[in-house]
Amino acid sequence: VVPPVQVSPLIKLGRYSALLLSVAYRESQALQSPETQAEEERRIAAEEEKKQDELKRIARTGLSDDEL
Amino acid sequence: MKLNNKLRIFTLHAAVAHSKPRLATFWHYAKVELVPPTPAEIPTVIQILKKIISSAQTGSFKQLTVKEALLNGLVATEAWMWFYVGEIIDKHGIIGYNV
Repeated sequence: VVPPVQVSPLIKLGRYSALLLSVAYRESQALQSPETQAEEERRIAAEEEKKQDELKRIARTGLSDDEL
Repeated sequence: MKLNNKLRIFTLHAAVAHSKPRLATFWHYAKVELVPPTPAEIPTVIQILKKIISSAQTGSFKQLTVKEALLNGLVATEAWMWFYVGEIIDKHGIIGYNV
């Protein structure tokens, strides 16, 4: 009955850019969230532990991986 | 069991028959109003922005009627609401705070 309204392109641009901005903003926040930071810390801690184990093994046996 | 299946098929058919014309009207309007902007419309956008900036510089925005200003504010608010819709889509839920 009522014909569709011709929406101004500025409004269309504003709407869809707000949509995309919000998703981009949230994704960047997710990278900084305490959860992801805790996960990264755990990963770094695990790598540190591996290095420590390697050093201990070298200290014990006196040989490195290459020489073994 | 057969009656149960027949009832299920009947309600599904009724739901489809009910929603088809409504979806058609929605599509009829959405095709024109909810379509994203095309790159061809960018010059128009720049023109409109220039007009707005010049009206801010010359002070001609004070000649707007209150009704026009309210409508502009309403349209701007609606465009900003799409921001929150994007947030809802991203977090796959409506709840904002994990209380």
